[in-house]
Amino acid sequence: MMLLRAVVTRLAPLLACLGLLGIWQVAALILDTDSFPTALDAIRAIPAILGDKESLINILASLRRMAIGFGLAVMVSIPLGLMMGRSRGVAAFFNPLLMIIYPVPKAALMPIIMLWLGVGDVSKTLVIFLGVSLPVIYHSFEGGKAVEEKMLWSGAAMGLSAAQRMIRIVLPAALPEILTGCRTGLVLALITMVTSEMIARQSGAGNILFNALDMGQYDTVFAMIIIIGAMGIGLDAAFEKMRGRLVKWSEPRFDLPLSFS
Amino acid sequence: MKPRAVTSDVLLGMVPIALLIGLWQAIDSFGYAPVSLLPPPGAVFLRLVRQLFTSEYQQEIAATLFRLFTGFAIAVILGVGIGLAAAVSPAVNAVVRPLVRVLAPLPKVALYPAMLLLLGFGHESKITLVAADALFPILLATYYGASMVEQKLIWSAMAAGTPHGQILFKVVLPAAAPSILTGCRIGLVISCIVVFLAEMITSTDGLGHVLVTAARTFQAVDMFVPLITISLLGLVLNGLLEGLRSYLLRGFPEV
Repeated sequence: MMLLRAVVTRLAPLLACLGLLGIWQVAALILDTDSFPTALDAIRAIPAILGDKESLINILASLRRMAIGFGLAVMVSIPLGLMMGRSRGVAAFFNPLLMIIYPVPKAALMPIIMLWLGVGDVSKTLVIFLGVSLPVIYHSFEGGKAVEEKMLWSGAAMGLSAAQRMIRIVLPAALPEILTGCRTGLVLALITMVTSEMIARQSGAGNILFNALDMGQYDTVFAMIIIIGAMGIGLDAAFEKMRGRLVKWSEPRFDLPLSFS
Repeated sequence: MKPRAVTSDVLLGMVPIALLIGLWQAIDSFGYAPVSLLPPPGAVFLRLVRQLFTSEYQQEIAATLFRLFTGFAIAVILGVGIGLAAAVSPAVNAVVRPLVRVLAPLPKVALYPAMLLLLGFGHESKITLVAADALFPILLATYYGASMVEQKLIWSAMAAGTPHGQILFKVVLPAAAPSILTGCRIGLVISCIVVFLAEMITSTDGLGHVLVTAARTFQAVDMFVPLITISLLGLVLNGLLEGLRSYLLRGFPEV
């Protein structure tokens, strides 16, 4: 009985996926319109996309841009956020600027950035970078702010320099919060990736999706939705696993991501 | 915090914004970028002020706001409702948890084509997208807020004779309010972003459409105007929510 329960908990997300696909299948059979293929039809269209060399290169190029944008954003945002968390001056300096940028859709900057940098990889990676930065900065800021003063005093008393205190005390103490931010950032990177490609319409997964929509290839549209959705769920699950390893000592505060766009 | 410290903080915060606008102006003045690609800030703000007083632009803003509020309202109602139910009832929890686990990291924008095909190109598909994106932060914040409510509070209320059915509204909901409002704040920012994107993809009106039209005709000035407008809208809405928060939480200890 215990074992069965454990297995069910383990498989619950999988069951949820199957349930959703099932609902889709039934809804499509009931509605029965050309523009809404059944789940099975959409799944059947997936191998054709992944088997096609050009679309596969497109999707991999998307993923590469996403990885570069995400990596750069994390490298810049974590130090900035931590410094904002530790120094009131730095926080007061950057906070209003960040507040102004926050509600601006980063992918909407795409048309302007395209004017300056062209439609190539640079503009798309830059947009992903901008999209990922804000939540990571915000969470690093919150994490850095919450570090216990006493630990820092002890560190200083033991002769650690300011930079050493930052790396050896503040960074690990804020790590759980930082990783929460990175998880949000990861979902966001994927969303920004799709949107930017959809606006630039030159290459990538978003381009395949919206071109198929324009040409009325509905099976491809829904197959791409499944592929992109699976990327999101897969990346999130992988990140969660890594996070669990890194911050085993701290109980995860949120075991579900807060998704942004 | 002393009032003087607040003023100096605000002044300090103005510095990077002023620097950014200064840099922007300098790039134009020294001719590093052609004005057709990067219009000077003065021209952009002048255009913004002018546009704000034309009825056409006001209608675009109204269309965007209508979608934003409707989607956000649906997300708040569903998010708070489902979040509370999942926190109180184990049966609901067992169903909702795995579903949320799968649906929350799903990029909702990728679902937009499906919504277009099913709901058409009008308001409905955009409102659904806004609601779907804003729902999860609110739902999760409600769920965590409600499941963190101290059991003692509930026992005290029961001991004081509160009927069983009212405990949810008289104890759990107010106790979870700070967390719920934080979730709503995130949801609001997301709504601003998503409604704009949806209008950029397919629309005949709204701020996103203004940007796309300007981009197609290479009117750089008109591309900046809707972006600044949505940023200002976000700031204003955030301020309103902040006001609502301090009103609703007036009896709560400072967090």
